[in-house]
Amino acid sequence: MRVSLIHRGAIRCSAVALVTFVVASGAFAISDRQVARNFDAVEPAVCLVSYSSEVRNPNSGESSRRNTRALGLVVSAKGLVMVHGHMKLQDSEPFNIRVEIGKGDDTKSYGAKLLQKPADVNVCFLQIESKDALSLRHVKMSERKLSLGDEIMIVGMLGESLDYARASMLRRVGSILERPRRTYCIDERVPFGAVGGPVMNSAGEIVGVVGFDLTAQEGGDLYVRSGHPLVYQTKLLNDYIANPQSENEQDDAWLGVFTQPLTDDMAEYWGLPKEGGVIVASLVPGSPAISAGFQRGDVITEFNGAPIRARQNQEVLGFTKLVRETGVGEEVEVDFYRDGEPMTIGLTLAGRPKSANDAGEFESETFGITVRELTQDVRILMNLSEDTKGVIVRRVKPGSWAFLGGMRPGVIIMDFGGHPVTTPEEFQAAAAKVEEDKQKEVSVFCRVGSRTRFFRLEPRWGSATETP
Amino acid sequence: MKIYALSIALLLALLPGCMTMAGDSDARLVRAKNKVAPALVHIRPVKEVFRGGRRQEVSVLGSGFIISRDGYVVTNEHVAGESKLVRVVLFDKEEVDAEVVGTDKFTDIAVLKLKTQRTDLPVVDFELDRKLEAGQTVLALGSPHGLSRSVSKGIVSVTDRYLQDSGTMVSPYNTWIQTDAAINPGNSGGPLVNLRGKVVGVNARRLGGADNVGFAIPVGIAEEVWSDIIEHGRVERSWIGVTLQEMVSVTDDADREGVVIGDVDPLSPAFEAGVRPGDVMLSIDGSVTNARFEEDLPSVRKRLADFPVGEELTLGLMRASQTVSIEVVTEAKGDIKGREVELGGWGFTVTELTPAIVRRAQLPNRQGVFVSGTRVGGLAAVAGLRQGDIILRVDGEKVDTLSAFQEVYRDRIESKKPMVLLDVKRGAVTLYVLVKQGAAAPARSGD
Repeated sequence: MRVSLIHRGAIRCSAVALVTFVVASGAFAISDRQVARNFDAVEPAVCLVSYSSEVRNPNSGESSRRNTRALGLVVSAKGLVMVHGHMKLQDSEPFNIRVEIGKGDDTKSYGAKLLQKPADVNVCFLQIESKDALSLRHVKMSERKLSLGDEIMIVGMLGESLDYARASMLRRVGSILERPRRTYCIDERVPFGAVGGPVMNSAGEIVGVVGFDLTAQEGGDLYVRSGHPLVYQTKLLNDYIANPQSENEQDDAWLGVFTQPLTDDMAEYWGLPKEGGVIVASLVPGSPAISAGFQRGDVITEFNGAPIRARQNQEVLGFTKLVRETGVGEEVEVDFYRDGEPMTIGLTLAGRPKSANDAGEFESETFGITVRELTQDVRILMNLSEDTKGVIVRRVKPGSWAFLGGMRPGVIIMDFGGHPVTTPEEFQAAAAKVEEDKQKEVSVFCRVGSRTRFFRLEPRWGSATETP
Repeated sequence: MKIYALSIALLLALLPGCMTMAGDSDARLVRAKNKVAPALVHIRPVKEVFRGGRRQEVSVLGSGFIISRDGYVVTNEHVAGESKLVRVVLFDKEEVDAEVVGTDKFTDIAVLKLKTQRTDLPVVDFELDRKLEAGQTVLALGSPHGLSRSVSKGIVSVTDRYLQDSGTMVSPYNTWIQTDAAINPGNSGGPLVNLRGKVVGVNARRLGGADNVGFAIPVGIAEEVWSDIIEHGRVERSWIGVTLQEMVSVTDDADREGVVIGDVDPLSPAFEAGVRPGDVMLSIDGSVTNARFEEDLPSVRKRLADFPVGEELTLGLMRASQTVSIEVVTEAKGDIKGREVELGGWGFTVTELTPAIVRRAQLPNRQGVFVSGTRVGGLAAVAGLRQGDIILRVDGEKVDTLSAFQEVYRDRIESKKPMVLLDVKRGAVTLYVLVKQGAAAPARSGD
């Protein structure tokens, strides 16, 4: 199936290329004066984003840190920034994100957090973090369409040796893919610094940004190696710009249950109507569902007036979404069967507990270790009991004292240098105390898998706080 | 010219001497080999393995050596363990069947008994008196890649190598003799021999991807194990539920002696008695314990394991700069791997829960059975059961043991009950799995 898709795409491209030749002369062009005007209007919103990510060597298993820079586009006055989706890959989450806006002495640097990477377009949205209210120069996007052969202007960035100077480039729409969705292909390659840069039409409207590949959801892996520049059109981006949302919005409601669909077989087994529903298969300790009195094996058929009719796995997601979107603090009634008897429970929905992505982190540069709060989702993922207290090691800098002591990501620190640790703040305090006392040896008590063990770190305080 | 002539004369005078030395060395090697070779055997067990939800029988190859004139043979557990039928080829190429007398996974030793009336079989000698030294020449005898009666030569590289556990490949009670004598698949169970023609070790492992880094179980510990197996059919060990760590894992201070308690199993004798991680064990029943490096750990573990089951031990512990004494009553150490069975009707295999599985799965007790494999297209797999699941209940009834589960399973098969509901633990969550017996279409079930 995939092979045939590539094949079709290839034929269409070559056919379109022929047409390009014919229509090029009739397409819109951008005048020199327009180039200068466009550039002045857009340049202040083009910013430099720097971030770190962890790279694992597949051969040695060792991980090292990589610092990367990318072009960002400020899309709201309040500090919403759009970057190409390469920033967040499947197995690597960016951290230490900074956004530099402006040029020369007027450059301002802000910390930022990753808000979301939508599933249907390969970009990341960042939110600049600032104590003061922001009013940034930003771009407004237009949903105007392009035609084959139209001249387009891109604002990109030059490399480090050229101080990331902003640069304009003129290209044309070289071909148009109709599937999996209408996508403009740029006729020539663009420098890497242009990826994520705004794409303008002859009227100076920003009609999209430069992309490099499609999302996996739209079969992006077919095109990923083509390396052909594309335009991500505004209509794909506008909703996300208008309603910036964290992937882990804290005001999502939750019940704290793991559910399964009530298949017809399951209904027959329990003697229930074959009308679908969700079976409460597991309850999270301390969850609202437990407080409300739900039990394992309850079959929910109605939630807040809406019938629940899940018969297949994917239909359970609808129930999860319904609960999430009902809103924290809402009073709801839940109809369910228990041991074949219909019952109703009323409860007030609580907010979903913090997930690993929202969890607080602390990086000890002295020890070369970054720890994260032990959140409910990680507890479930790692099958940790409620009485396991500590912080989870997210990153260990190769060559650091923690690394040399044998510590690796995934280990849960419960005591650091004789100081019990249950939160990143406590870890920070413990690390500071150890440093202040110049402890020759730091005994670290950890959970590794299902067992506990000690690690010994040997800081070399003589070399100030430099790691070996 | 004179000097030149003198050199020639010297050379001629030395040459025969050199040749004699070389001849001596060869002769010693041959003599050593000849002492052991007649007792060397080639072993072809048919093992029972559980793979992909099925029980299968596979033929494997290994080596061994005869230790008694009436036909006791020593080999590796990983060669002869879980085998019903073992065919042994003697050095004179006579083929004899053997039965498995007993095995010990913790030291990788197995004992076979040849089914023969002979009482004049050649046997090996063991080197129990002289200490082995690195640099000493050794020979490895066995059947590398099935090539029986092979001899390879090397030296002892290290006498006490500590090898970390890897899955079910564990060696808590012994360090290893590391040698550069070529050891290949098939050498397992064969003897490592010194130049006196005496067995110093049982070849068992090699480092994959390396050139001639092989490992043998020291004969001292192997001999204790095979003696226990011959006498009792198994090795009984004590267990108190602590995981020990070497002192350097907490301090580099050579003056601080003891053994670090790194982990205590919940509900174990040590846990019940109040032993906690971070305690440093200074003595057992008044005699000092010390493990500065990891190589020192196996002997301490062995000391604990060698106590009779049910014995009350007094552990001298250092806790926050205070010495405390704690009495712990030992229990019998369980097997590393539980009994495994194939349940062909549903197309899956299950094993007993071991303490290790209970710990990993965070179960409150040892009730349930562990799904060790499912067959593609089998009823269990179609219902959504997966390898690693733990079955806790069948149709709402608790299943305590593997035998109890087998009984319920047999009942459901015989009664042809159309649907059977299993309560399954998968990671931190529990879920329902509905097995449709005789289902034509795949049943849907939660994941």
